[in-house]
Amino acid sequence: MCDCAECEQLLQPYLDRVLTEAERLEAEEHLDHCSYCRRAYRFEEELRMFVRRATSAPMPPELKQKLADLRISL
Amino acid sequence: MSETTPETDARRIAREARDRVRFEEEALELADQVYRVARHMVNAREEAEDLVQETYARAFRSWKQFRPGTNLRAWLLRILTNLNIDRGRKLQRTPDMQSLEAGDYYLFERLEDAGGEITEEERVDERLSQDSIVEALSAVPHDFRDVIVLVDISDFSYAEAAQILDIPVGTVMSRLHRGRRILKKQLAEETVG
Repeated sequence: MCDCAECEQLLQPYLDRVLTEAERLEAEEHLDHCSYCRRAYRFEEELRMFVRRATSAPMPPELKQKLADLRISL
Repeated sequence: MSETTPETDARRIAREARDRVRFEEEALELADQVYRVARHMVNAREEAEDLVQETYARAFRSWKQFRPGTNLRAWLLRILTNLNIDRGRKLQRTPDMQSLEAGDYYLFERLEDAGGEITEEERVDERLSQDSIVEALSAVPHDFRDVIVLVDISDFSYAEAAQILDIPVGTVMSRLHRGRRILKKQLAEETVG
């Protein structure tokens, strides 16, 4: 079983689902026993979703119109 | 001997006109997503708007270079990225990474130190604001930010991001890994000092 420092190293590839089966099991075994790492993983997962939400900038309607005006076919 | 007749020419022109209309419509449907990438790739909103306009102007002019059936969103963003580089982005030097990077738990640890334990049920927005995310992202060096914007925010695969940015897939992965750490360090500094 890995320790907390190793578990920290596995955080990103774990959430990206690019770990090998053996590495994934190693991380999960640690997470089962360590609430600190479990909370850190959960936080990272939430953070990723929050980053996505926070950066959804709606396009100004004037810009949309300007783009439509650039059309050549009309 | 040429088999071209005025009739087939007319038919070809009509088909091309239809294809062109369809291309432009499909490209415009993706404008919100293209704008979102531009908005976070460059720092100023006006600059992002100019970049999107230039991208569409070029896309509409060179629409025949797009191969139907391939990824139009990636094609548009490839144009955007190239235009952005033409604007002098390449001149930017990447700062020393050692001073920017921290471990993956860094932000989590700093927030717990400052405000107590973060439970598994707690929502991130109880500790971080949306503005702090936008602010921190804009402080991430371009090379790293671009992959975050494409993969984490716009849902492109590593391979698609590699194609758009014209870099190897391995570079996308390593920049993403480091970029996320830089982003979290920035967030920690902005939020808890």
